[in-house]
Amino acid sequence: MVEPGDFRRRRERRDNADPASDGSANAERRERQSGLRRILRERFPQRVRSNLLPALHFLQHEHGYLPEWALQVVGWHLRVPASEVYGSATSYSELRLDTPPLLVITVCTGLACWRAGSDELLASAQKTADERARVETAACAFICGVAPVVGVTGQGSRRRWLGRMNPGRLAAVIAEASQ
Amino acid sequence: MTEVGSLATWAAMATAARQRIAGSGNPARVMVQWGHCSEAVGADVLYRRLTAALSPRRDVAVIATGCDGACFAATQVVVERADGTTRFFDCVGAGDDLSAIIASVDAGGPEDRARPSPNLEAFFAPQHIALMESVGSINPTSLEEYLASGGYRGLATALSLGQKSGGQKSGTPEAVVQLVLDAGLLGRGGAYFPAARKWQAARRAGSLTSRAAHRHLVVNAEEGEPGVFKDRHLMEGNPHRIIEGALIAAYAAGADRVVIYVNAEADLSAERMTAAVTDADAAGLFGPNALGSEFGCTVAVRRGAGGYVCGEETTLLNTIEGRRREPRLRPPFPTDAGLYGEPTVINNAETLCNVPGILTGGVRRFASIGLNEARGTRLVSLSGAVRRPGLAEVPLGTTVRQVIEQVGGGVPDERPIGFAAVGGPSSGILPAAELDVALRPGMLHPSGVVMGAGGITVFDDSASPSTVTLKLAEYNAAESCGKCTPCREGTPRIVAALARVASGDGSASDIQDLRDLSEIVGAASLCGLGQMAGNPVNSLLHFYGSGLGIDGG
Repeated sequence: MVEPGDFRRRRERRDNADPASDGSANAERRERQSGLRRILRERFPQRVRSNLLPALHFLQHEHGYLPEWALQVVGWHLRVPASEVYGSATSYSELRLDTPPLLVITVCTGLACWRAGSDELLASAQKTADERARVETAACAFICGVAPVVGVTGQGSRRRWLGRMNPGRLAAVIAEASQ
Repeated sequence: MTEVGSLATWAAMATAARQRIAGSGNPARVMVQWGHCSEAVGADVLYRRLTAALSPRRDVAVIATGCDGACFAATQVVVERADGTTRFFDCVGAGDDLSAIIASVDAGGPEDRARPSPNLEAFFAPQHIALMESVGSINPTSLEEYLASGGYRGLATALSLGQKSGGQKSGTPEAVVQLVLDAGLLGRGGAYFPAARKWQAARRAGSLTSRAAHRHLVVNAEEGEPGVFKDRHLMEGNPHRIIEGALIAAYAAGADRVVIYVNAEADLSAERMTAAVTDADAAGLFGPNALGSEFGCTVAVRRGAGGYVCGEETTLLNTIEGRRREPRLRPPFPTDAGLYGEPTVINNAETLCNVPGILTGGVRRFASIGLNEARGTRLVSLSGAVRRPGLAEVPLGTTVRQVIEQVGGGVPDERPIGFAAVGGPSSGILPAAELDVALRPGMLHPSGVVMGAGGITVFDDSASPSTVTLKLAEYNAAESCGKCTPCREGTPRIVAALARVASGDGSASDIQDLRDLSEIVGAASLCGLGQMAGNPVNSLLHFYGSGLGIDGG
């Protein structure tokens, strides 16, 4: 149950969290927000809802994920309620709201890859990858002609799919990418 | 007879393009087939290595083309020598020794490479190549090459179709609609609705609602169906053909806005599509007054953001508008109230690729291929336990077995075919004995097997049909958008019951639950994803029900 005054107290707590940087944290946040608004005004001069997905793609490209504060700024710029920006952002499987790890290994487990041995690839990836890496699966990478395939995404780089994989080669790829 | 109007304008453009190509001074071409499939085995690295090695040679052009469908032979390199002869290399690895390829540019190169490998010839022999005609041999990012090979003549023909002999500047869009109706072109996305009927409906709807400022044509290249990779091959191999088809459709439907919707993952497709759109725009093909006619439109490339349901046409519209990825209720149909509530035609990329050929080759030529009720060719994405997986183009009416055995070369390791998953997760599986069905619209088998977007994944006799069905059901459950209850709640329950059955712990009541669930989810769901989510289960129970080891099953 939220009591009257709760929100004011919460805000005070937040603003006073670090007395030394009081004020400067706020200024920094505002600076960050207005910086993004400037960029959005330039890239998406039309403040219409249909620019939402392109704007989210742009953010993900810039940051590697969608930071919460940036979602709010996108909502301001495109005149879409923050709740609906969040709703859209979370409904698409390619958009992520958490910071990406150093290395993402994506094992395709679609029918053709599964037949060609994706189970062993998945086991091999889980065994080889260290704690800085995340091993995930994909339902289909649409590269079925060179199955089985595994995707490798380094921080800040585009996912690279590798075809005709085998556990030994995958281990070498992960070892090299983890360095 | 001298051509007039748009055709004359086009002829001048094509001649100019041919002259520029002839004047470029690159008599020899080294074509690296770099598609999303071959990129996964290093085609991009290979292209860069060959470019670097041959850069001192001013008489050789190294060109990145699309993959011609033979993914099993990736990466292919084709060398066209100055004397007109050709040398073929396949399965070239990113780190392979390239000296044979480089030597083959000049006379004296390896003689055994004068023909494609027997495997490649066997792959293409049973096919009927129409849409894939220049994929792999044309530079996808060169408008000049497309024009020189006769590209955009379909658009010019469309713009002047129905033109009266006396002085009238352009033809009538209705004539284009009629021509494509006569040809009998059905949509290739999975529903097989006559393409030109949508154009007609949008054209009529637009004249009724005066408040609609625009009409839209959306090219559906979302291609999110697992096991299907045809639109990517078209976009990477010959993007201008899709644009040409889209422009003709936009003209016929009276649309002034074209949106090409490309899958979020398909970066290479989007790159080449965007480059082609930029070039076509600069050449004035989007108008105003395209090719001297009164037609003009804007063309934009948009990206999806992941999800099978995004390929559903009303979901796709929501995505473009910046809403959640959820389908809309129909009616109203998109042709009445689609994008931003305005009349909208949504055509699949493969469908639109057929259109230029109908305009230039005529109705009779198009209709001579395929079945009476479904004419033309179909791109089939063949994968799994076959010797030659890849993208095949076959006449509609070809049987699933013909595709697997003749194009794909059958199952490797001398094993027999067990079964095939046909048509993706909205369809089902066909056991080896049932593979003589012809590829056609509607049910391939009444238990719920359809052609869908043309995916075939083959399994040998060691694979378990219930495990494969479980994977299809899991996919449907994971991709359910959650908007409507039957699909959101029903698909996970199908998975739970099926998992018990597949692991051997199932009971007769699980089988009954599966039957009930697939019926309810199918009858009560909002969009095609849910309506067809029961199909894999139905086909499993029909073909393998008695073999699941459950009494009363």
